Amino acid sequence: MAATALIARTRDWAFGPILRGLLTGLVGFSLGAGFTAGVRALAGADAIAFGPVIFGGYWFGLAGWLLGVGVWRTWAREWLGMPVDWTMRNGWQRYFDFTTDHKVIGVQYLVTFLGMFFLAGLLAMLMRIEHLTGGQVLFSPSQYNYVMSLHGITMIFVAVAAVIGGFGNYAVPIMIGAADMAYPRLNALSYWLAAPVPVLLLATFFAGGFDAGWTSYPPLAVENRDGQILFNLAFITLGLSSIAGSINFIVTVTKLRARGLSFGRLPIFVWGVFAMSLLGFFFTQYVAAAMMMTLLDRLFGMVFFDAAGGGDPLLYQHIFWFYSHPAVYIMGIPGLALALEVITHFSRKPLFAYRWVVGGILAITALSAVVWAHHMFTAGLSDIELFFFVTTTELISIPTGLIFLGALGTIWGGRLWLRTPMLFALAVIFNFLIGGLTGIFLADVFTDIHLQDTFFVVAHFHYTIVGAGIFGLFAGIYYWFPKITGRSYSEFWAKLHFWWMFLGFNMTFLPMFWLGLNGMNRRVASYPSDLEALNVVASLGGFFLGAGFLVFLANIVVSWVRGPAASANPWRARTLEWHTSSPPPVENFESEPEVVGHPYDYGTPGAVHAMLAGAEEEGG
Amino acid sequence: MKPRDAYAAFVIWVVLTALGEAFVLRANIYPLAGNEFARDVDDAFRLLMALAVPVFTFVVTVLVYSLLRFRRNGEPAEDGPPIHSHRGAVWGWFAVTSGLTLLVMVHPGFTGLLELRESRHQEMVVAVQAAQWSWNFTFPGRSELEKVKDLKLPTDTKIRFDVTSRDVVHSFWLPMYRMKIDAVPGRVNSVYVATEEAVSYGENVNVRVQCAELCGTGHPRMQVRVEVVERPEFDAWLAEQEAG
Repeated sequence: MAATALIARTRDWAFGPILRGLLTGLVGFSLGAGFTAGVRALAGADAIAFGPVIFGGYWFGLAGWLLGVGVWRTWAREWLGMPVDWTMRNGWQRYFDFTTDHKVIGVQYLVTFLGMFFLAGLLAMLMRIEHLTGGQVLFSPSQYNYVMSLHGITMIFVAVAAVIGGFGNYAVPIMIGAADMAYPRLNALSYWLAAPVPVLLLATFFAGGFDAGWTSYPPLAVENRDGQILFNLAFITLGLSSIAGSINFIVTVTKLRARGLSFGRLPIFVWGVFAMSLLGFFFTQYVAAAMMMTLLDRLFGMVFFDAAGGGDPLLYQHIFWFYSHPAVYIMGIPGLALALEVITHFSRKPLFAYRWVVGGILAITALSAVVWAHHMFTAGLSDIELFFFVTTTELISIPTGLIFLGALGTIWGGRLWLRTPMLFALAVIFNFLIGGLTGIFLADVFTDIHLQDTFFVVAHFHYTIVGAGIFGLFAGIYYWFPKITGRSYSEFWAKLHFWWMFLGFNMTFLPMFWLGLNGMNRRVASYPSDLEALNVVASLGGFFLGAGFLVFLANIVVSWVRGPAASANPWRARTLEWHTSSPPPVENFESEPEVVGHPYDYGTPGAVHAMLAGAEEEGG
Repeated sequence: MKPRDAYAAFVIWVVLTALGEAFVLRANIYPLAGNEFARDVDDAFRLLMALAVPVFTFVVTVLVYSLLRFRRNGEPAEDGPPIHSHRGAVWGWFAVTSGLTLLVMVHPGFTGLLELRESRHQEMVVAVQAAQWSWNFTFPGRSELEKVKDLKLPTDTKIRFDVTSRDVVHSFWLPMYRMKIDAVPGRVNSVYVATEEAVSYGENVNVRVQCAELCGTGHPRMQVRVEVVERPEFDAWLAEQEAG
């Protein structure tokens, strides 16, 4: 009985839920691992082979972890007809709990993935040290491949989850006037499914690392060291989290919009998250399948991708990119949509050609399904495939152009308020311009054959994913900082951070276009010494870029602790999240909001976007 | 916002575009080009840059001009004009971006693919087998040369390389010929390279075969130094390999 009482008491501990999750996770892991080892022993195989035992243990461990951290208390007891006595905690403890408040979950995502961003950023610094000379500096080639692969996949996860998981969760329900997401418990589940992902990635270190890059093509990913197993498990797990989150956003935006908020009045950031959730929902399963098939090949002797056994290594590439091309939009479009949102409010002018911009985002969403093989132009495709994928890939320029039309048409003749969120948003447009234009060289087979798998590609995707996605993330951090924390950040330090990051970013990645064109293939620890000069420039740029985040961290921490109090609407913006207090109360609004007009009717006297029942109408 | 803002921005755009074009059309940013195909690829690259310049300068002009001209010191006291859209601007933008897209889709997109197809002629077939982490070559009627570090090729010869892999995915890249194809286990992918003048790795590092697809520890060093030599010298080298 003492043990039961002790377990019951853990619910009051700050880290009680996590502790319980770890404990039940361990129990689950032991069961799964023991079961796997037992089956193997019966079948006459080596019982405690690392890979199969980890694989078998992981799924039971994951289930145990989720049950322990909160699913049992909040969900499973109800399924079994047991009494549910579960209340949400207040105070800082709620950030370490299975909390269903979408604002708490948004902050959980933001902090977790910012942490991963800084970790992967440090790995990037190490890579740039290695590239200071053409020869060996810091790492053996095998260590370099591990650092590069870990940097890649960690940043991919950050780009997929930070803006949608962070601001999608925090801002979207408030922007549509909802009290929470459609499925609050599923939302909590999404986050706590994502939480083991960084742990798995770090644990690869103890399993010998992995060296197949974030794309992890077999047969290499079937033959390399055992860290690869944890990588594949992490990818599948984040995929599950993504699918759950996508379902939640689709239903939330479809069903929970405030009275009067038609789709035609939806703020553009909400459109971005909604469209990308469609992609996440439809496509994530394919990458999970690719990861699982690799594991089955590797651990259980299946031959999906083994040419000698009748499989085909290219099959993996097709399935992988069938998700992973849509995924680059999942990484980039929310940042672009967020930039448009910020640009509109800080230009105090309606979002130019709103309908065309929405159409552009939806057209990109649709086209993204039929362009994947442009990642495989040198893989040995047929001429028909080459013609088809050149056509579809080039077509994406047209809807992408509409996003630029929206941005430029809005700032032209506006009343520009150049606060930090606006600077980041304008930088998104500039960076994505370079990223988009250089994409055309890669969309065209004739020029791509040479550029494929070189640093030209590295530069291109950093300009799109970091340039739009991550700059958009920082636009969002500064834009919603007063809303989330109820405090103001220091504008001086924020602007310093902006210029530092903008210059450092361009100094790091601009030289890489030239390097790739001139014969530097990607994913290399060493390279021809003729290419050293611009590599040194890129490395110095990278160190400069990295150091700038100290400014960001100091500003955010100090401002969060003792920044001056922020008002409900410091930007005089019109969307609904600015119609409630900073930070908003649980369930967001004191009374039910009603939308009566477009969110972007700046310059029209008397135009109103939304009203709260019983409250004085707000002009903003 | 007045008409003269549009005129001023237009003039700035024209000037910047002229400067940009002068730069991209003259700048020699390209590595050594070893044959006509490579020079055509560079021409396509140059054309794409020439088309990208006006787009780039247009967006940058509007961004920077607005940033300087329409900025307010501190919080704007009033809103901007309630312009929601502009039929002419939107359709004009749509037409221009669609036109540019179709242009690059046809040329160099489709025309480049046709040139690629027409380049498929061979006077010599070389089998290439990639393996972690070396390249093996088999010349016609000869036995396989294993773990080649130095390769000679004859001048003015149309060569087909039949590329495959014995273990993981590799990629066979000849930077100076702008040619690349993946080496995939279970498949034979062919690429066609027409050599021209004599040239060697000693003169330029891009006269090499480089593995371009991550294949494990030895990936960056999975290279072959290439030397393109006159036919008699090539034949002598090949005979010498056979003997050795």
